Formats: sequence, C-alpha cells, structure tokens
Amino acid sequence: MTVRIFSAIAALALFVAVPHLLPEFRLFQICLIAATALVVLGQIVVTGFAGQISLAQAAFVGLGGYGPAILATAWGLPLWLGIPLTAAAVAAGGFVLGQLTLRVSGHYLALATLAFTAIVQLALIHSDMLTGGAAGMAVPPFSILGLTLSKGGELYYLVVPVTGALFLITENVMRSRFGRGFAALRQSETAAEAMGLNVRRYKASAFAASGFLGAIGGAMLAILSTYLDPTQFGITQSIYYLAIAVVGGMVSTVGIVLASAIFVFIPEWLQAFQSYLGLVFSLLLLGFIVLRPEGLASLHSLRLGLNLLRSGEGTR
Amino acid sequence: MLAQVLVSSATAGAVYAVIALGFVLIHKGTGVVHFGYGDQVTFGAYLALIAQVLIGLPFWASVVAALLLSVAIGALIYAGFMWPLRKASLLSRIIASLALGTVMREFLRAFMGPNAWPFPFLLSQNSVSVGGILVVPANLAIVGVSVLVLGVLFLLFEKTVYGKAIMAACDNQIGASIVGIRVSSVFMMIWVIASVLATVAGILMAPVLTLSPDMGFIGIKGFTAAVLGGFNSLAGAVCGGVLLGVLEALAGTYVSTALKDMISYGILIAIILARPQGLLGVLAIRKV
Amino acid sequence: MSAPLLRVTDITVRFGGIVALSGVSLDVTVGSIQAVIGPNGAGKSTLLNVITGLCRASEGAVSFADQRIDRARPHIVSRKGIARTFQNTELFGEMSAVENVMVGSDRHHAYGLTSAATHAGGYRPMEKQARREAEDLLALVGLEGQMNMAAAALPFGGQRRLEIARALATRPRLLLLDEPAAGLRTAEVEDLTHILLRIRSERGLTILVIDHVMALVMAISDRISVLNFGHKIADGDPAEVRKSPEVIRAYLGEKAEHAFRP
Repeated sequence: MTVRIFSAIAALALFVAVPHLLPEFRLFQICLIAATALVVLGQIVVTGFAGQISLAQAAFVGLGGYGPAILATAWGLPLWLGIPLTAAAVAAGGFVLGQLTLRVSGHYLALATLAFTAIVQLALIHSDMLTGGAAGMAVPPFSILGLTLSKGGELYYLVVPVTGALFLITENVMRSRFGRGFAALRQSETAAEAMGLNVRRYKASAFAASGFLGAIGGAMLAILSTYLDPTQFGITQSIYYLAIAVVGGMVSTVGIVLASAIFVFIPEWLQAFQSYLGLVFSLLLLGFIVLRPEGLASLHSLRLGLNLLRSGEGTR
Repeated sequence: MLAQVLVSSATAGAVYAVIALGFVLIHKGTGVVHFGYGDQVTFGAYLALIAQVLIGLPFWASVVAALLLSVAIGALIYAGFMWPLRKASLLSRIIASLALGTVMREFLRAFMGPNAWPFPFLLSQNSVSVGGILVVPANLAIVGVSVLVLGVLFLLFEKTVYGKAIMAACDNQIGASIVGIRVSSVFMMIWVIASVLATVAGILMAPVLTLSPDMGFIGIKGFTAAVLGGFNSLAGAVCGGVLLGVLEALAGTYVSTALKDMISYGILIAIILARPQGLLGVLAIRKV
Repeated sequence: MSAPLLRVTDITVRFGGIVALSGVSLDVTVGSIQAVIGPNGAGKSTLLNVITGLCRASEGAVSFADQRIDRARPHIVSRKGIARTFQNTELFGEMSAVENVMVGSDRHHAYGLTSAATHAGGYRPMEKQARREAEDLLALVGLEGQMNMAAAALPFGGQRRLEIARALATRPRLLLLDEPAAGLRTAEVEDLTHILLRIRSERGLTILVIDHVMALVMAISDRISVLNFGHKIADGDPAEVRKSPEVIRAYLGEKAEHAFRP
C-alpha cells in the first residue's frame, strides 16, 4: 500500500517538474507518445484483453480527429466539447462493429475490421464538402476557459493528465471482475458463457472501449499535428498501432507506453534515412511476433517492478 | 451494353481468380490466411521490373527470373516464419502474415520509391472490335494466361499423384503422414506454388494498375473473391474471382466508378455477415 | 407430486443427416440425483448441450421451473439457475483455481463499472466476499491447498473438482455434470461420490449426471435414464434399469441378453 502511495506522489512530482526541465520539442514528443499510447491502449483492450482481432484502430483515430475538427469548423463547437461527443459516438459505432463478433471470429473478423478501415478512409477522402477530401483539413487550436493551448509545453497539461487518467481507469477495470470476465472469455468462451457471462456484450464493449480510446487519442494527435490528412488513417496505420501493441506486450499497459516511446523516437534516430521508416517498423513487428510475441512486457525487470506496484488486489 | 460490361470485367475477374486461388491454396494447406499475399503479388511484379530495368534482362527473361526468385521466397517464408509459428496462436500467425506483407511493401517503398513505375504490356493496348464488342488484346492476354495457369494447376491437383498427395495432406495431416507423405514438404510446396502464383498475378496486373508499392491492396479484392467462393474450395475461389469481377463492373457502370472500391468492400462485409461460408462453402461445427 | 424442476419433452436433434437425439423426454425432480447413461455416441452430451443452450434442438421443448428455456442463450440459462461442467474440461487455464471459481461467484457480488474504474465504493468489500466464497467452495471440493495454482497446472482429478467448484459458485438450483468421473481413479471416484451427496444434502441442489462409470451412477442415483442411438430405452430406479433387457442388449449385445434371462 505504501509503495503505491509513494509512487503516486513520485508520479505527480515528476509531472509537475518535467515541463521546467525539458525543452519544448521534447515536451511535444511526450505529448505525442502519450496520445499514441492511448490509441494503442484501445488496441490492446480489444485485441489483448478481449482476444478479438481488430484492424479498425486507424479508422477510430481518423474519426476521432475529423469529428471535433468538423464540428468546430462548420458549427463553431469548441474542441473541448466536440472531442468527448465524437468519442462517445465512435464508441457507439465500435459497439455496433463489435456485434460482428457474433457472426465471425479470427480471420474473418480481421478481414471485416480491415474492410471497415478501408471504407472509413475512402469515405473521408470522398466527402469533399465535409472533410476537405484528399487535401485534408486544418485542425483549429484547442482553447478552454479563454486559454489557448498550442505549444507542446502547453498541450502537455491537457494530453498527459487525460492519458494518465484513462490508463488508470483501464488498469482498474482490468483488475476487477470485468477483467476476470475478459480473461475468462479469452481462454474459454464456452465456459465463460456457461458461467453466465454475456460474451457477446463483453466483446462489443471491448470494441466500444477501443473506439473511445482510439477517438480520444486521435483527437489529441490531430491537435498536435494541427492538420488532418486522410492518407494517415488507413490500413497501414492500423498495422502500425498493432505493431506497437505487439512490441509492448498485448496485455501490458506499461509495455505499450514504452513501445510508443520507441516508435516515436525511431524517426529521430533514423535521421537522414527517413524513407526506411516503414521498413523499420514492419521489421520490428515481424521480429517481435516471431521471436518474442509477448513483447517487451515479458522482460524480467519490467515484471518485477510491476508486481511490486500491483501487490494485492485484483486479477490480471 | 451488358455484354460489353461482362467482357471488360473478364480481365479483373481473371486476376482476382488467380489471387483468390493463391489465398485458398495457402489456407487450405496450412490453415494460415496470408494477409500479406497482396503485397507478395506486388513484390513479384517488382522482381520482374528490377530484373528488366536495373539488370537489363529482356522482358521474358526477367519474367522467368522473377518466377524463379519467387520459388525461393515461398520457401523462405515457410521455413523462416510459418513453420516456426505453426504452434503459435491464431493472432500471432495473422499478425505475422500481415507483417510479412508490410515488410515487402515498405521494402519496395524504401528502395524503389513510392511512385509508380511503368510496366510493359504483353500485347497491344488498342481496342479491337469483335462482333460489336470492344476487346483489348492486352487484356485478352491477361485472361488467356490466367486461364492457362488455372488449367495447369487443375491438372496438377486433379490428375497427378503428386497433386493429389498435396490435397490429401491438406485434408488430413495425420492420415497423410501415416501413409508416408511428409507434411512439412507438402506445406513448403504449397507456399512455393502460391508464391509463384502471386508473381504471375502481379506481372499480369501491373500494366493495368501501374506498379506502385500500394498495388498490394488488390489483395483485399482477391480475399473478397475467395470469401465469395467459400474459402475452402479451389474451384470456389475461381468462381468467386469471376463473380467479383462481374459485380464490380456492374457496380462501376450502373452505380458509380468512384465508389467502385467502396462497393467491393461493402460486398465483403455483407458476405461475412450474411453468409460467412461463402456461396459454395460449408460452415464447420465445433464439438463440445 | 411436485412439478419436475427440469422437464425435457420430445427433444429431437439433427445435424445434417445425422440424428443425434430422437424424441427424448426426461423429468428431473427437485432435490434428486438423476443419471443419464448409455453407450458412446448415444447422444448424452448432446442432451446436455440442448438443455444449456449450446445446441439448438430441431424439435421439442425444455422447461426449467415451468419456464421454457430451449431457445435461450447459454448465459441466460446459467442465470436462471442451471450450472454445468464439461466433458473435456473447459477451465480458464491461465487463471488460478480461485480466480476460476470467482468468475462464477462474481455475479453475486456485482459492483458496477464506476466502482471498478475507481476501485472505490463496493469494489473492495465485494471482491473480498467473492474471493471468500470461492475459497470456501475450493475447500468443499478439497482444493484448498491449490488455490493459487494455475488451473492448467492442476492434476487431472483436481481439474475435474475445480470445474465442479466453479459451477457451484454460480449458486445454481440444478447442476449438470458431464462425465465427472471419466478418467478418475477408484479412490477419486469415491471422493466424488461423497462430494456430490454432500452438495445435495447441504445445499439442496438437484443434480443430473451423465457418466459411464457405474460405480458412481449406481451409488448416488435416485433415478436413471438410458439412451442408445439417440433414443431413450429405459427409465427407472437403479434396480429396474440394471435388470432391463433393452439396457443389457444395448451395452452387451444380443447374446448377453439371452444369458441373463431367468
């Protein structure tokens, strides 16, 4: 118990201190890492915890970004209102998508979610009136209570707490009876149903959660990049988020934060070799899935630290 | 008018059929759905291009070189990735096949650039009128080669002992190994055949689609065709390909050319929801 | 005569060309232990699957406490008060024994999503209660020493008992056991017999057992139904069934039936 209180205080202290210690572009990167990790959290909720193969994450990210931008540009709705509204709508859409799992699983589910992403991207590209079509559209700046947040150092105070809160909530839920339910349906759907679990609703809820988290993450990515380009929300990006999930560890919240950081830093490390970016990402994915499918989370030192923090309640 | 649409759709249908066949062959044999197959199709076409443009081989020599290289690629994929993962979870195998495809695609993007390369046609591109219907000889060549390839495979699997052994191993691994068939060799053979098929499809399709790293997304069309045909039957894959070609052409003509792709994806989702076993397949029942 | 707790009426199940069950009817009285026996392939597991909603019957009806359940989905059947074990143990292998049982007991300590998200409110007390209930059930089946062991790591007999504990956690009125004694050693079968009799008397549970192991079936059943090739060929108390010529013929063949004629 004291370990948890101590680490909570340490985390808070770190959060307050960091903006004074790091330069602007590093703070921007931290925001990028947090937003990416949030999207990937959505991925592991549906694919890791609920065991459902989903390649729809990029679509959720795209919708999560375009939604608030369109609401702000066309109807003047401020982003701080548009973002949660869009996320709720995307969650509802995710729930409907999750009904697919009634009919199909495995390969067909992967294919259906792939097709979903393709359709959403095509819709974004062809809806010129609303989305600016293939040319994309600008994202208005984020302002709340008269304050406009535009630099990395300012958006830090939005992105990091939101990400932190959602991560904490997800962790808590996964260490409750709901987490047990997900683990159960992952290991034996038949038995889970025989124990009274509404498996279909669990799966659809997982899709809804992945939609919600993907949309919020997508909104924040949109604010950070200030521009929405529809080619960024396709099948390749879904695979990108899946790659981070695999490298981080499909059921590890800490692992995916680490992996998100790695993937955000790779373009910087590559310097002049930017054109090899996609190749590096996909080689990482291939390497990990063949050699170390549990991802970074399976590293011994990581496990020890986690167990220390988590001692006691709940299940994994 | 309708006849024109049907004739024009034969090109796409023929190539979809070849790709669908590759998908189904791999799935029937090794239980893996190769999500990266479309990218392998692209890769195969690029091999021919590289041989021709960078090494300077004449067209037909580069085609042969590409086919030979794809034999090696098929063997490498099986030995290096699919065989080690044979006991892994379904998710891992799906991700692995996606990753393989993405690696191929990104490799091409990095080393050959993201832009399209021109690719030579087999025959003339100018349309010729046959009985009032416009026919393009180049497209005719595509259909012709596809039919030839499918015919060869049909003979292989239905008429030769070797081919029948492959099909036997697909249906019942244990039974096959009891009668002396080495299952891992059979799977290796399947991957090799499918990889060669991919290159053939790529070379056929490249002139029509223009060759770029993203041409691989045609794989989804091939997948749709395979699903239409009921993912487990080779004949079904071919029928599915032809059918998809026709449906697409009809949609393109009577609905909208811009939305043609969306309609294909829509067909895919509709089939998955309404009749996942496809038009010719059979749903499996799991015993508890 | 009280109404039967479970009433199966004229159930017929066809899979394509195969008839797995044909016009099978069965009544299970409250508080009794009944058995369904029959040679392999007689349709016993199919009957269980129909009752629990895993399999849809082509004809016929199933009622539980006077409510039709034959069209209900498995989780609804479970919530109405029917629990089951599986022929091939379907445990949650990576979870510990106590966690497996908690999946069953969770339903009766159901805190909401907000409580789960914040770990406040009902979370802590209800988690404790669910865990305690699970631990008690594990003690009942003799697994108190292996509580935190991964289910897949338990010995075969332990896995079977874990399945029973897990089924009991849902607080059912009717317990369906699918070949609970299969593969158990004689001593383990005796333990199982004691556990089942205890469950019936202490918890007022009604039990329907499918099995081959005659030692178990004869020792605990008030009533036995016999299936063969999808038909019910006998129904009565153990003594009657043991003497029935149809049953002997089904299990041992034509010649044996004649051998037993007085």
